[in-house]
Amino acid sequence: MPNIVVLVKQVPDTYSERKLAESDHTLDRDSADAVLDEINERAVEEALLLKEAQGGEVTVVSVGPDRATDAIRKALSMGADKAVHVSDEALRGSDVLQTAKVLAAAVGKVEGYDLVIAGNEASDGQAGAVPAILAELLGVPQLTHARKVELDGTTLKVERESEEGITRLEASLPAVVSVGEKINEPRYPSFKGIMAAKKKPVETLTVADLGIDAGEVGLGNAWTSVLEAAPKPPRTAGQRVTDEGDGGSKVAEYLVAQKLI
Amino acid sequence: MFEWSETDEMVRAAIREFIGKEIRPHVDELEHGDLPPYELLRKLFAAFGIDALASDTLKKILDKQRAREESGEQSSAKERGSTSLLGAGGQESLGVILCSELCGVSMGMLAAMGVSMGLGAATILARGTLAQKERWLPELVTMEKVAAWALTEPDSGSDAFGGMKSTVRRDGDGYVLNGQKTFITNGPYADTTVVYAKLDEGDGTPQRDRKVLLFVLDKGMDGFVQSKPMRKMGLHSSPTGELFFDNVKLGRDRLLGETEEHKGGDGRDSAKQGFVTERVGVAAMALGVINECQRLCVEYAKQRELWGKPIADFQLIQLKLAKMEVARINVQNMVFNTIERARAGKMPTLAEASAIKWYSSETATEVAMDAVQLFGGNGYMSEYRVEQLARDAKSLMIYAGSNEVQITQTAKGLLGQ
Repeated sequence: MPNIVVLVKQVPDTYSERKLAESDHTLDRDSADAVLDEINERAVEEALLLKEAQGGEVTVVSVGPDRATDAIRKALSMGADKAVHVSDEALRGSDVLQTAKVLAAAVGKVEGYDLVIAGNEASDGQAGAVPAILAELLGVPQLTHARKVELDGTTLKVERESEEGITRLEASLPAVVSVGEKINEPRYPSFKGIMAAKKKPVETLTVADLGIDAGEVGLGNAWTSVLEAAPKPPRTAGQRVTDEGDGGSKVAEYLVAQKLI
Repeated sequence: MFEWSETDEMVRAAIREFIGKEIRPHVDELEHGDLPPYELLRKLFAAFGIDALASDTLKKILDKQRAREESGEQSSAKERGSTSLLGAGGQESLGVILCSELCGVSMGMLAAMGVSMGLGAATILARGTLAQKERWLPELVTMEKVAAWALTEPDSGSDAFGGMKSTVRRDGDGYVLNGQKTFITNGPYADTTVVYAKLDEGDGTPQRDRKVLLFVLDKGMDGFVQSKPMRKMGLHSSPTGELFFDNVKLGRDRLLGETEEHKGGDGRDSAKQGFVTERVGVAAMALGVINECQRLCVEYAKQRELWGKPIADFQLIQLKLAKMEVARINVQNMVFNTIERARAGKMPTLAEASAIKWYSSETATEVAMDAVQLFGGNGYMSEYRVEQLARDAKSLMIYAGSNEVQITQTAKGLLGQ
C-alpha cells in the first residue's frame, strides 16, 4: 500500500491575462484568477488511481501563499487524504532551487513516503526543473515526463515521453515521478468529495518549522534572478509573395534573409 | 444567508468547469434537438457522484419503509412527505446551484432532469407502495432511466384537473386508460411515465368532479403512443411531446399506492404538494439566466467599441447593466431566503411561492430581453447566446403555472380566500 505524496501548485489561470509585477518581476498574483495547475490535477488523479487499485494514502504538499489553500482544497475534494501547506512571507520570490529545498523538507515531514508525484512543469514558471532537483535532494531516483505509470510492489515502471521518443524506466521505491499531459484525464471532484474536503487535515508550516533558515529563501537570496521581462510582441501581418513564375525563388530568398535556411 | 458558503463555491466552480468542458461545446446540437440531453445528464450525474448519492438516499428511505412494514408500524406523515432525493441534510444549496448554473447555458437540460427526478420519481416516491418504489425508482434516481409526468391536456392547462378528459374505467381487477396529454417534458423518450386520469365510475358524476387517479406506464405498452418532439420557441434541449392512450390496459400494480382512496388525498392533492417546491425552483432557474446575462453583458460592454470608446461608457448601456444588478440582488435574495427556510423546515406558503415565481420569471425575461438589446445586431444572432437565454427565460413565465395564475394565488393568499 503505497504512501504517496503529490506536489501541487496554485497558478494564475491560463485563460486569464497573466502579469509579472513591474518592480521585481515576481508573479502579480492579483492580476489573474488563481487555480490548481491542470498538470497537478493529473498528478493527483494518478495518485488516486494507484490508491484505488492498491490502497495506501495520498498526501498533498504545496508551497505557496495563504490563498493556495483553495488549490489544496481542490486536490482534497478530488480524493486526497490530507495536506501539508508551507506558507511563509519569507518564501516570496523563491527560485526553483530554493523551492525544491523547501519541498524536500516538507516531503520529509510525511512519514514513510514511498512515491512523490508531480506535474512535469507548472504552467506559470515553466522551468520544469523542480521534480528533478527534488529527487536529487531526497537522494531518490527521478522518473520524469511520464505518460504511463505502473507500480508493482516496490517496483515502479514508467514510460517517459520526450522529443526523442519513448524511454522505459524502472526504479525501486522511494522515487519521484513527474507526469505529462497524456498521463490521464483528471476527475471532477464529486459533491461528496467537496463536502468531505472541508474536514480533511491540512498542516500549515513555516520555513522555521521545516528547520530552514529564512535567510536561505526568498527573492533576495535566490540563485537566479529575472533581469528583464517583456510581453510577447504582437503578431505582425505576414509577407505575401505573389507568384509571377518566380514564387519559389522569392520564398527561398525570404527564408535565407530570415536566416531560416 | 447573504452569500454562498465556501463549499457552495467549490461546488459551483466544479459545475462551471464541467459545463465549460462538457456542455458548452454541445449547445448547438442540444439547441437543434439533434442531441437529447440524457447522455450528458448521466455524465453530469456520474462526474459529481449525484447518482451514487441519490441511490444511497433512496436505499435508506426504502430500507426504513421495509423495516417499518415488516414490524407492522404505520408510517408517519413526515416520512411520507419526504420526497427529497437531492440536497438533503443541510446541503439544500447544492441542488439550487446545479439548477441555476445549468439554466445559464441550457435551461432545457435542467427541465429534462427536473421533471424526471423532481416530478416523475418524486411522485412515485411520495405516493407509491414499497413494491412500486422498488420497481421504478432505483433506475430513475440515477437518470439511467428517464421519467415523464403527464398532467396537462390539450383542453386543460392552468385548469388541469377541472378540464381533464383522460379517463380510466375499472376492468376486472385493473383499469383501461383512454385519452391524451400534451406539452409533456421527456414525453418522446420517457421510459416511465406518471399519468393523471379521471375515474369514470359509470354513475353519472360530472367529468369535472370525478376522482383523479395516478398510474405508472412503461414505454412500449400496448395502446400507449409517445409522439416525436414538438417544435418550441425555446427550451430546445428539453424534448417535449404528446402522449396518446388508446385502451391501455393497466394492472392494479400500476395504480400509485394501489388504492383509489389514497391517504394523501386524490391526484389533485398529489400535484399541489409539489407546487411550492416547483415555484421557488423557478427563482433558482431565473437566477441562472440573470447571472449569465449579466456576465455576458458586462464583458461585451467593455469590449464592444462604438464612436471610439467602449459602449460601457454610455449611460443607456449603464442603465441596462444597473437594472440587471437590481434583478440579480432581488432574485438572489429570494433564493437565499428559500434555502434558509428549507433548512429551518419553514417552507414559504403557496401565496409566497407564487409571488416569488411570478417576480423572478418576469424579471429574468426582462433581463434577457435587455441583454439582447445591449448586444444589438449581435444579440439577435444565435452565436452570442443571449437570444437563447431570452427564449428560454420566457418559458418561466408560462410553465409551473402561468404567471396569471401565480398573481391570482398571491392575491388570494392576501385576501384569505
